[in-house]
Amino acid sequence: MANYQLYRNTTLGATLQETLEEMISQGALTDHAAGKVLSEFDRSINLALDKRINKKVQFTGKLSTYRFCDNVWTLVLKDFQVKDNNPGQHNTAAPSTQVPRADKVKIVACDGKSTAQA
Amino acid sequence: MDYPPSFGDPNSHQNDHYASPMSLPPSATPRSASARDDTHTNTSSDNRFYRRPSVASKKSLPDMGPPSTVTSHHPNSVAPSTPFSAATPFTPRTVDTSRVQPSLQNIVSTVSLGCKLDLKRIALQARNAEYNPKRFAAVIMRIRSPRTTALIFTSGKMVCTGAKTEDDSIQAARRYARVIQKLGFPAKFLDFKIQNMVGSADVSFKIRLEALALAHESYCSYEPELFPGLIYRVIQPKIVLLIFSSGKVVLTGAKERREIHEAFELVYPILKTFRRLS
Repeated sequence: MANYQLYRNTTLGATLQETLEEMISQGALTDHAAGKVLSEFDRSINLALDKRINKKVQFTGKLSTYRFCDNVWTLVLKDFQVKDNNPGQHNTAAPSTQVPRADKVKIVACDGKSTAQA
Repeated sequence: MDYPPSFGDPNSHQNDHYASPMSLPPSATPRSASARDDTHTNTSSDNRFYRRPSVASKKSLPDMGPPSTVTSHHPNSVAPSTPFSAATPFTPRTVDTSRVQPSLQNIVSTVSLGCKLDLKRIALQARNAEYNPKRFAAVIMRIRSPRTTALIFTSGKMVCTGAKTEDDSIQAARRYARVIQKLGFPAKFLDFKIQNMVGSADVSFKIRLEALALAHESYCSYEPELFPGLIYRVIQPKIVLLIFSSGKVVLTGAKERREIHEAFELVYPILKTFRRLS
């Protein structure tokens, strides 16, 4: 069971890791158990993002640099902007308030198929 | 064309060290001087690139002076010894080859960096690099100015494609070598050689390919079911032309710019006799 560990850097993963470390320092959890929890987190978030998310987001940006190595694409976009195309919501004021514009965004993209096989 | 300023930073492929070798003669200074330092190289090369059409249009002017004036306008233009300049009559509109000139589209060059390379490290550290050893045993790297692609092999050999002029090709190859050097490899710049040049032209009349294929049987291969173009092999210079019924012509196989022009000068009168009247 090899799952991508890159989601440990998300807010969810980071807070989970903080909590685990706190519990370890309090002696409420062993290192081994914390490792088990984290690998379970890897498994479920990969599964959840694959199967339970069907929302699509459109974004634009100018490709500044790219890299493809070890089957991982790393893209750095400039003038990043999420396109707001929610037909249900008519928020005329303040377009795309949820995702602010960013000067630079790094996208790390892994092969989605290999997780399903792994 | 505006390039992101990030390309000016030290890890980038656009290094300012090469600004001076490529700086242009006073006659070709950029018309609009850029305030930003990092866009300097781009501005000058772009400017040089855009100059070419103006020279081409100059060539088509009826009151064209001696060829030397044309070359003086443009540092990268055809050398004075090329057939175009030599064969162009001073009274225009007698030979209409002067109307149509093939323009260079692609140059493929090779160079050896003279050291073994760790492609994985290059792919991880350099920007704009692709490395998929399962597919292809080379790092594919690109730079924006001159807009080119390089294939970098573990032996230290490199192939640079996509340049439109000889100067661009060698300059791009030097920039790739510099990128490799900056990653800590003892890269040199050995045996640079232009391997192929591709030009194209539009004679702006339709061509009867079947008739041409019959008349020049020994030079031609025309298999419309396989490929819509007629393949015409010129023996001297050794150039292959792809001739399409629309009048568009692709010339390839040249090692020098001169050969493209020579081959076109040879073939253009032939094409005229097989013009489709409609």
